[in-house]
Amino acid sequence: MKEKALHVLLVEDNAGDVRLLREMFSKERSDSFELTHLLRMSEAETHLAKGGVDIVLLDLGLPDGHGLDTVRRAHAVAPDVPVIVLTGLDDEALAAEAMNAGAQDYLIKGQIENRALPRALRYAIERHRMQTETDLFRTNQIQFKDEFLSHVSHELRSPLSAIRQFVGILLDGLAGEMNPEQREYLEIVLRNVKQLQSMINDLFDVTGVQAGKLRIDLQCASVSDAIVYTVNSLEGAAATKGITLSSDIESGLPSICADPTRVRQILVILVDNAIKFTPANGTVKVQARVCKDDPNVLLLEVSDSGCGISPEMTERIFERLFQASDPALAGRKGLGLGLYICKDLVGRQGGKIWASSSPGQGSIFSVNFPVFSLPNLLTPALRKWPTKGPITIVVTEVGSRAGWLSAEFRAEQCRTIRHLLQECLHSDLDVLLPKMGVAGAAELIFIVAVTDEIGGEAISKRIREQFDDSEHFQQTELTLLTSYQSLAAITPKVNESREGFLEKMATNIQELMKNETALRMVENG
Amino acid sequence: MGNKKILIVDDDPDIRRGMHVRLKANDYDTFFAADAFSSVVEARKHRPDLIILDLGLPAGDGFIVMERLAKVPFLAVIPIIVVSARDGLGNQKRAIDAGAKAFLQKPVDDAELLTIIRKVLGEPAQQEKATLHHQGTI
Repeated sequence: MKEKALHVLLVEDNAGDVRLLREMFSKERSDSFELTHLLRMSEAETHLAKGGVDIVLLDLGLPDGHGLDTVRRAHAVAPDVPVIVLTGLDDEALAAEAMNAGAQDYLIKGQIENRALPRALRYAIERHRMQTETDLFRTNQIQFKDEFLSHVSHELRSPLSAIRQFVGILLDGLAGEMNPEQREYLEIVLRNVKQLQSMINDLFDVTGVQAGKLRIDLQCASVSDAIVYTVNSLEGAAATKGITLSSDIESGLPSICADPTRVRQILVILVDNAIKFTPANGTVKVQARVCKDDPNVLLLEVSDSGCGISPEMTERIFERLFQASDPALAGRKGLGLGLYICKDLVGRQGGKIWASSSPGQGSIFSVNFPVFSLPNLLTPALRKWPTKGPITIVVTEVGSRAGWLSAEFRAEQCRTIRHLLQECLHSDLDVLLPKMGVAGAAELIFIVAVTDEIGGEAISKRIREQFDDSEHFQQTELTLLTSYQSLAAITPKVNESREGFLEKMATNIQELMKNETALRMVENG
Repeated sequence: MGNKKILIVDDDPDIRRGMHVRLKANDYDTFFAADAFSSVVEARKHRPDLIILDLGLPAGDGFIVMERLAKVPFLAVIPIIVVSARDGLGNQKRAIDAGAKAFLQKPVDDAELLTIIRKVLGEPAQQEKATLHHQGTI
């Protein structure tokens, strides 16, 4: 069978090198290679984009492209086409780097032996094909594993649900009175059911971590709320083990920029772990304070008087499926996923987590979070903005006529509202700021838009329409008030620094926020 | 006035039974359906005040049930609480968008379920005898 000719793209600007390579190709059967020669990277990009190239021979010193950048550019246009780098004798180090950047191989000009060229090309293509296959296989496997875990955790929840229901029925005396011993045993069952339930949730979360799917809604969040919640829900477990659980929150603590549900989840994992590894009569303490070295960072610490961790383990404990090696100390094991999930969640909220400890001295788990501030929030958005043109702020206030159901339900509603508002944005320059927690049942959400007053009016009209169309919001008795204000007066001056402008804008928004809240209070009062 | 009527839709007989015991003890009358088709039939027959709906059902799923109920004016007004083992992220939004009053993930905390039922039915909140998870504050 006749083999298909290989389409080789040679990108090289040195006429001498081109002649040499052409000569080598001419020694091969004329139907085995088809050579296209281009001088510039820009031409090569256009050619690659059209498709049909089997392999690229790429010089690293082109008139319009140099070094590793050329490899990356070739990859960007045609990720599936293998690249062989051509390099001079003195540039072998660079060639090796090119391999790291994705090149299949490198050939040193003037050192290509007779007949070595076609072999190098064919090998490169074959290697590339095998690599692609392996990658695909791995992706499929990971996907299968994630689907499997997600399926398993779903299927486990149903029988667990029935167990929990009937244990509850017995404990509440709905099937007759229990004697104290029976009650005690059933409480043990319930405790274990709850543990199983949280393990299943971990399993589910970890598939989310790997797929990068754990949802995080950054907003103005209170650390003390999260601490109070955690201490409340784990006090019982600590007391059962004879452990004193306490908290120490610095007064006047600023809010952080984080997802409150996730902050609670992180704290619960850390405190639960601390209780698990602390013997009877020990202490577990949660502390929160502003970082001494950086007022923009808030530090959370969970310290215990437990068995401690050896220094070489303080990093490994955040690995997936890591478990304490001494089961006698650990008591009941978990899945070894908690800290791994913590690390992912903290990292994705712009914070850091680390552990410090020495065996027998207890451990301290520290988490830091960025302090919530408007300039911090506006910085990434402002980077995209043009320097001139008025800026308008549309303020949407979301209230609820009745305190509605559970906190989780409310969080979900806020997400839905944010999605609704997202659709009302004018352009991709407009940003939606996370909700700013204010007192009471209402929340303030800001749209900062690069537009004039008329545009501001249009946005707030659109918001009202969307809201009126949404049956769901009306059913849940939500109220939505929008107003807008042009900030044309603070359009940046020619020589003004971005920081200065940001600062000014943040002050304006803060003023606006105060006014809005005051307005609402008048309405209510 | 008679007891409020609740239709329990779940394909798992143990879960139906468990909910029945719990709801009966709280003075609700219960009716049952185990698949998407019969849930609409039972809803027509009994005109319940509330439906507790599972999502994974034979002969369709909870979302199809909600769609079908929504087409019949006198069934469309019945409030629905979705109770499912499916993950909360996407399904919660989908359920609420489809008109459900609340989404709870299995295993459900009975005290929470009862609180939500009362709220949805517009009944005064009761001092729950057995709220296992709100004991004491610091």
